Amino acid sequence: MNTPDLERFLAKLYVDPAARARFLAAPYDEASRAGLTGEQCRALEKIDRIGLEMAARSFAKKRSLKILERGGRR
Amino acid sequence: MAANVMQDRVGLGWRPELAAGILSNLDRIDFIEAIADDYYDARGVAALKMLAVQRPLALHGISLGLASTVRPDRKRLEKMARLVERVRPECWSEHLAFVRAGSIEIGHLAAPPRTASTIDATAANLDEARRIVGTSPLVENIATLIDAPASDRDEPAWLSGTLAASDAGLLLDLHNLYANSINFGLNPYDFLARLPLARIQQVHISGGRWIDDGDPQHRRLLDDHLHDPPDPVYDLLTKLARLAPQPLTVILERDGSYPPMEHILHQLDRARGALAQGRSARLTA
Repeated sequence: MNTPDLERFLAKLYVDPAARARFLAAPYDEASRAGLTGEQCRALEKIDRIGLEMAARSFAKKRSLKILERGGRR
Repeated sequence: MAANVMQDRVGLGWRPELAAGILSNLDRIDFIEAIADDYYDARGVAALKMLAVQRPLALHGISLGLASTVRPDRKRLEKMARLVERVRPECWSEHLAFVRAGSIEIGHLAAPPRTASTIDATAANLDEARRIVGTSPLVENIATLIDAPASDRDEPAWLSGTLAASDAGLLLDLHNLYANSINFGLNPYDFLARLPLARIQQVHISGGRWIDDGDPQHRRLLDDHLHDPPDPVYDLLTKLARLAPQPLTVILERDGSYPPMEHILHQLDRARGALAQGRSARLTA
């Protein structure tokens, strides 16, 4: 049931704290608003919330390190 | 230590910070893995070619995002193809992850939903990678802090399904396997036993640290490559060497907090010892 839309939605959750907060407040509604299927919305209601915040922090740190590296190369 | 008659190899990830130590200890390093993305702009490729003459070498990609329902970026694959053509490595590898979606760059390796759809799409992407680069990549299992959302199967089932649907060999990261097992309630030995062991060609070992969200009960093991491989990773390597019928190439990954080179070489020797112990048990079983 995975689709590009689902990957795009997950990517947004990982990088956008406001989108993540909206989703965690109303997972089904936010996923539905993004156009995901009912099956996908129900699956996302069971998301690993602890892991989501930890992964998002880890991804943010990686992105900032890459920006620093690019700055160092200039 | 028992003699290792399987022609296993033990090597190290090439990092600029380790260059002097690696070059002055090549007699103790059987294999080198270089990050492909560091050479896409052509800088340093001549030196990499020289290195590939001195030791068997793998090019390791980190940004193709092949485990996705979106087709990989052709320009990125063509960069890999050009690099492979110039360096002529023994093999190349990439992660089973998605790293971007649309215009959003996640910044690192994200676990795709573990479904039949991602298995089929990943197999198609691996086939496209093979056609453009010329050879199939080895594919690596990733570490994830979040249990892959919207999944309908566990990780061993998804990995096995992906390998069954493609002709790619497996680069098995034992610390990733260990961390995901600990974080999501799997037995790492069961995880290992459920994989198609004959498809494993290379093995990564590395270390990490515990993190939490302020609540110690929510702690998870982060794969950060800043620490030595923990004892369970060496134990898993011994188990793998006992079970796998083919020679293995083990690569130690270290991405910072670099210890003295002698300490790193000791980790390589420890990996050799773990392999030899497993091979010995295999022979006497």
